[in-house]
Amino acid sequence: MGEARTRQRVVVLGGGTAGWMTAAGLASLLPHLCTVDLIESEDIGIVGVGEATLPHIRGFVEKLGIDEAAFMKATHATFKLGIDFRDFGSIGTSYIHPFGSFGEEVAGIGFHHYWLEMQRQGRAADLGEYSLAVCAARANRFAPPAQDSSLASTYGYAYQFDATLFGPFMREFGCGKGVRRHEGLVVEVERDPASGDVTALVLKDGRRIEGDLFIDCSGFRSLLLGQTLGEEWEDWTHWLPCDRAAAMPCTHQTADIRPYTTATAMPAGWRWQIPLQHRMGNGYVFSSAHLSEDAACEALVAAAEGTPLADPRILKFRPGRRKRSWSHNVIGVGLASGFLEPLESTSIYLAQMAITYLIELFPDGAAIDPRDRDEFNRLVDMEYDRVRDFLILHYHATTRDDSDFWNHVRTMQVPDSLAAKLELWRRTGRIEKYSDGLFYDASWIAVYVGQGLLPKGHDGRAALPDPAKLATALDRLRQEIGTHVSAMPNHVAYLKAERGRLAPVDAGVAA
Amino acid sequence: MSAPRERLRRVCVVGGGQVGVIAAVALRRALPDCQVIVIGTPADPGAYADRAPTALPFTNRFHEQLGIDEQAIVARAGGSHRLLARYLGWGGPGSVGAMAYGAQLDAQWRTRFAREWGGGSRNAAGTDPAAGAGSLAEVLANAGRFAVPPGDRATPLDMVEHGLRWNSPAYRDLLITAAAARQVVHIPGIVASAERDGEGGLASITVPGQGAIEADLFIDCNGPAGSLIALVAGDEWEDWHSYLPVRHLFHARPGQPLLALEDRCTLLPQGWLAALAGRDGLQLTLGFGDKVTEAEARTALPGQPEALVEIVQGCRPNSWVGNVVALGDAAAWFEPLGHLNLDLAHRQLAALLDLLPGREIEPLERAEYNRRTLLMAHGARDVLALHYATPAARAVFGEMPLPGSVAHTLDQFTRRGRVPFHEEAPFAGAEQTALLLALGYSSGSSPQASGNEPREAAAARREFDQRASAALAFAPPYRDFITGGAAASSSIAADLQY
Repeated sequence: MGEARTRQRVVVLGGGTAGWMTAAGLASLLPHLCTVDLIESEDIGIVGVGEATLPHIRGFVEKLGIDEAAFMKATHATFKLGIDFRDFGSIGTSYIHPFGSFGEEVAGIGFHHYWLEMQRQGRAADLGEYSLAVCAARANRFAPPAQDSSLASTYGYAYQFDATLFGPFMREFGCGKGVRRHEGLVVEVERDPASGDVTALVLKDGRRIEGDLFIDCSGFRSLLLGQTLGEEWEDWTHWLPCDRAAAMPCTHQTADIRPYTTATAMPAGWRWQIPLQHRMGNGYVFSSAHLSEDAACEALVAAAEGTPLADPRILKFRPGRRKRSWSHNVIGVGLASGFLEPLESTSIYLAQMAITYLIELFPDGAAIDPRDRDEFNRLVDMEYDRVRDFLILHYHATTRDDSDFWNHVRTMQVPDSLAAKLELWRRTGRIEKYSDGLFYDASWIAVYVGQGLLPKGHDGRAALPDPAKLATALDRLRQEIGTHVSAMPNHVAYLKAERGRLAPVDAGVAA
Repeated sequence: MSAPRERLRRVCVVGGGQVGVIAAVALRRALPDCQVIVIGTPADPGAYADRAPTALPFTNRFHEQLGIDEQAIVARAGGSHRLLARYLGWGGPGSVGAMAYGAQLDAQWRTRFAREWGGGSRNAAGTDPAAGAGSLAEVLANAGRFAVPPGDRATPLDMVEHGLRWNSPAYRDLLITAAAARQVVHIPGIVASAERDGEGGLASITVPGQGAIEADLFIDCNGPAGSLIALVAGDEWEDWHSYLPVRHLFHARPGQPLLALEDRCTLLPQGWLAALAGRDGLQLTLGFGDKVTEAEARTALPGQPEALVEIVQGCRPNSWVGNVVALGDAAAWFEPLGHLNLDLAHRQLAALLDLLPGREIEPLERAEYNRRTLLMAHGARDVLALHYATPAARAVFGEMPLPGSVAHTLDQFTRRGRVPFHEEAPFAGAEQTALLLALGYSSGSSPQASGNEPREAAAARREFDQRASAALAFAPPYRDFITGGAAASSSIAADLQY
């Protein structure tokens, strides 16, 4: 047992998505450095939000050596090319924020400046027409992207899956990698009186699980990071007032399955539709200050396009994050460390990001180096803060004045970091440049333009080329995209072509 | 409805060195309906960007964008290629390290989606299992074989990046030809006075015999003095003196022409000695601090001293004030160790083209430019500071405090084997790792590497050996490439080594 003693004993608290992703990731990637115990209780439900993901999930699945088809089959997954935002900028408008970009820069000037110029001259089509991902999504088509620098490499894809199946899938995988699972409720947290570090978790039946490193995946309860260590919570409700979701699955209404998620703005929030292989996930994310739970459930049922498969259930949450996600020997992953509503499908990404940084900074000796803890917290904060500003933009960039909710978000004071970005865009059509974190130019442009927030001015150089030639070039790009899209298989056909991706027929693709 | 912003009508570049002229070429290219004037004040002897005989791989791409042909530089400005910077003595007596260029991008970052969408850990520039295998550049430099890949088809050399060297006056002449072809107006003379515009910038400048010259935008490429930006920004200056110990530089008279694929930087008891190969002569530079006398430094410089430059290292915290933008030495003045000077000038110029203002300058656009270019300047400073943090360099130059970002990088690298990402840094993660190793820092082992190392490392080694054989088989002797197969000029040293 000499070898085992040198390994860190990791205890993961919580058997939800974040818990099993963490346990599976550590057991699979750092088996030489740690042992993993996971405590979960059947008495505690999992939140299971985040049925829609970002393309980064693929890297995680691949890194763990999981076969994509088997993974998709187990989680009833479909492909996702982006999110269709409806009624956000104003009622009746719609745009897709794609996993991809628009056009190509010419002479060092971003495509959108040319588009703005052509749009001014009445010669431009909808911005989405110049994005392969948007056009493929609108046409309900899917094919994997190319791995080169061609037009076919301009997009990525993610999955829409059943989060209540993803956790168990990771559980099975993690247990296969040596994660020890303990069923039970934690009733006591033991700490070292001198250092304040957590030393063991005591279960209701008296079992004691000791560890060196504790990963708090207990969801909003944040039993270790919040309740035990008292890490302060930074609340973002004033910017992101939605604090509830009503969720309800229903049947597919059509034979086609959209290779994208739909987010429709509602009077007190927004509503998701996430197509899985066997059903449609529905939810209404709302502000309880503006709408009662009952009214939200009613609105959700009324809006569902298929036959409801269950009664709506209510999830409660609070947007914000802990001041520190790693404190003492406790690391929060997932909701225990922070929460941002699922508007851009970032929940699983944020958990995955924390796991990735934890793996990079995993304690290499007996003691945790405070510098590694600081580095982890710096990175996690950077990721959260960037996503936060991007989410606020979706609410703030609107002309909607049809409800108290929209009046509030339209007129609220946004964080300074976002206010500066907005003003730079308004005046010049430019995006602050950074290369770390999530969401670059293409994403910001998609939302700005999609929500009708056009700048006052764009780069004067976009007016230099002969407008007729520019119009021809734009048309050529549209045609090229059109040709490419029409050669792509239909999304359902692509799913069906490889049976290994499909869940059993009784729960499978609507025929 | 968005309207195109009114474009600049006239830009006045002050400074006729290679930075000013390339800025003029770039601006004319970007704005064909804008008049661009270069006031040809002579370059300061200590203007290391303006007199740089070499740059880094970014410049190659930048040249291509501007239509400046690398082959023309080779043919007409003594151009040659550096694949490698060799570091001697930095890791202790007798130590030798090599830094190659090129990010060796992971396949997943090569697609356009990955570049344009982001997310996830960009900090993964940790220890590569193949790191011990060296680099293709080193294999090629050791064998004296290289050719610039043709670009129209895949070759085993496609991943090898180079820094281009040239004869600075000849390179400047080549740029002047390009500027003239684009109708850049050249006015010889110096700026005698300037008129303010009442909005924190300048309305016009006066050149004796030419009268007042008005412009929408002024570019100060006037060397370290930064006399134009100083008019609007005053003496705002971020001093790097506590981080960087070099106060003087001795330049030797160019020696024997030398064709080599590597350049060298040696740590001596008196300071550092840089040797830059070139078809028109080997250039030697000695950088030293205030613990060493001029006489002591002179003995450490092989060859005849030609110039002694006193340097005050630092940068302008705001290099764009009002309608005046400082580029090159006017924005940041620092020692030429690692050839970052012109690289920084070109990257800042590229940022200006990216954020090119209209006639009406938007303060937030200017703020974004200043944010990005200050990060770039700090990136250059940090690369320099890494050199002085090695134990051997501390023994020579004395103990210096480290910029926080450098302490952070060194801590993460030496303990954890990872290089934290910094926005606008001059080197990609893999290059930064190569530099740290070349300077003798040892990498901590990253948690993931220790698990599956032996098998992966062996596989990576095999794969690398195959690529190396293919590269060697493809690349001709460098001498043949550079002379285009013609009989070698007898004036170039036959020995590829120093």
